[in-house]
Amino acid sequence: LVVENEATMPGSDKETDLTERIEAFLSDLKRGGSGTGPLRGSAETARETTALLRRITAQARWSSAGDLMEIIRKEGRRMTAAQPSETTVGNMIRRVLKIIREEYARSRGSSEETDQQESLHKLLTSGGLSEENFRQHFAALKANVIEAINELLTELEGTTDNIAMQALEHIHSNEVIMTIGRSRTVEAFLKDAARKRKFHVIVAECAPFCQGHEMATSLSKAGIETTVITDAAIFAVMSRVNKVIIGTQTVLANGGLRAVNGTHTLALAAKHHSTPLIVCAPMFKLSPQFPNEEDTFHKFVSPHEVLPFTEGEILSKVNVHCPVFDYVPPELITLFISNIGGHAPSYIYRLMSELYHPEDHEL
Amino acid sequence: MNEEELVEYFRAQMRKDPDMASAVAAIRTLLEFLKRDKGETILGLRESLTSATDCLTGVDSSVAVSSGGELFLRFISLTSLEHQDLSRCKKVMEERGELFLEKISMSRAKVAKLCHTFIKDGAKILTHSYSRVVLRVLEKAAAEKKRFSVYVTESQPDAAGRQMAEALRKLNVPVTVVLDAAVGYVLEKVDLVIVGAEGVVESGGIINKIGTYQMAVCSKAHNKPFYVVAESFKFVRLYPLNQQDVPDKFKYKADTLKTVQNLSEEHPMIDYTPPSLITLLFTDLGVLTPSAVSDELIKLYL
Repeated sequence: LVVENEATMPGSDKETDLTERIEAFLSDLKRGGSGTGPLRGSAETARETTALLRRITAQARWSSAGDLMEIIRKEGRRMTAAQPSETTVGNMIRRVLKIIREEYARSRGSSEETDQQESLHKLLTSGGLSEENFRQHFAALKANVIEAINELLTELEGTTDNIAMQALEHIHSNEVIMTIGRSRTVEAFLKDAARKRKFHVIVAECAPFCQGHEMATSLSKAGIETTVITDAAIFAVMSRVNKVIIGTQTVLANGGLRAVNGTHTLALAAKHHSTPLIVCAPMFKLSPQFPNEEDTFHKFVSPHEVLPFTEGEILSKVNVHCPVFDYVPPELITLFISNIGGHAPSYIYRLMSELYHPEDHEL
Repeated sequence: MNEEELVEYFRAQMRKDPDMASAVAAIRTLLEFLKRDKGETILGLRESLTSATDCLTGVDSSVAVSSGGELFLRFISLTSLEHQDLSRCKKVMEERGELFLEKISMSRAKVAKLCHTFIKDGAKILTHSYSRVVLRVLEKAAAEKKRFSVYVTESQPDAAGRQMAEALRKLNVPVTVVLDAAVGYVLEKVDLVIVGAEGVVESGGIINKIGTYQMAVCSKAHNKPFYVVAESFKFVRLYPLNQQDVPDKFKYKADTLKTVQNLSEEHPMIDYTPPSLITLLFTDLGVLTPSAVSDELIKLYL
């Protein structure tokens, strides 16, 4: 993307406008990570990222699919660097890259069976080590890609509703459901079931930000009987719970979760009592990362929520940490409910191969 | 190419490059056999290749040679479906065969690239017996300036673990050789377990040197991740349900199978590790969960 120097050339207004929007988005992302709970939900971030990518496709200068992919990758790297914990940005970028590859393949006329994924079959039958370099120019490519991105946006808009529609199959009358913190997806899920069924919800407050309180207020406004408990009481209360339903920040490639802190405790307590753990996560939260990258996995925010600065004397003698996320291994999860239906954690690899291309795992 | 020439060629390939996987040597030998074959029909070609593979498994009874042979046969079938004329077909087969060999020679590098990020600085790794793929992964991690130490089991009856320890010492990696019986004892100190595989079965489990199953069970009990590194040509169409289900021809060395009458008195050389004990598999097709393995096999054989 070319910047300020071309102020005299036509079409440069569009480009500077585009650059400004990207910069605005980046600074928004950087600010949004202050940890007092998400200032914007993941769904909004996903929608904004996709809209921005559509704008880049429409307004940036590119002549072949390869150029467009390079531009998007470059912007993508900057966006993920701005806020590494916000994985939905990276996921949307990878979805769009896959869309571009598919549209390119379709324009070339090659069937989608010549799927670019590595496989044993491909090893045996391919005729050459030729690399697909995406250099051919197709006039209709831009329009096709923009149309496909529009479809993606429509899908994103419907995700929460699609998940909530499945609520009646999973929640039965007189059940006791436990959840932790505040998840918009789980909120919609429970509210949808509450229209037809009567059940009881126990919300773990999820210290130190105590988002559970907001969740409980919102649920009780919808007429659901709610109880708030402290995180320490999770194990004690678990024996009375029928199901645990939680949201998550990210679903990792091995089927594990990166969720709000306290979720691993909840999952272990559920496993101990053989209570099913259901995760409501839309497809845009699925990320091709594995939980090995310790450096970028955790996010620590200001510890004054845990131990306020007013406790002056002991501050110099004590180390205080305030991590935001928890890792939950796939063995503890029973079911994933996403906008395309319910899946077992062992099926995640299949969904990943359908959403993203292996070469895009590293932007 | 008759039997002796075949066996001699195979042995020569193994001698020439001791670092090469036995499956690759088998495929190379079969490709050479294909080039020299004077048959007139594709069916005849398939039959002679099948008997050649049997001959090779008579020399080296490991799962890898068998899976390499099966893969090559599959390759022949797929190619022969495209071209009906034998001479044209053979030309295409030879070209593709060379290409295939080139690709799989890069597979170890791909596996190492995927796996080394899972080794963190200061990690203590436990491994079993001598595996060239694991060695490659550890080489890559050492080259990335990661500090780690390794525990290797001695792995009787052939003490292959000592060979591994020697190779690691040359890389300046601190290594300790432990008894096979000491796996449970050492696991509390260890951060992760990485093993190679002689074969990866359809369920996502692995067949590897005896003692691997024990190590996997202990890792599960200690909650340590158990990683398997294997190239994709080791995927084999077997589905053992327990240890007894693994065919005898893989369990014992080729010489033992030929000479000994009563196999129940022999010690098996391999065991089967079920997929429930494996955390992740690193292959040149990517990082796979055990449930993803059967998908890959289906894609090939369907």
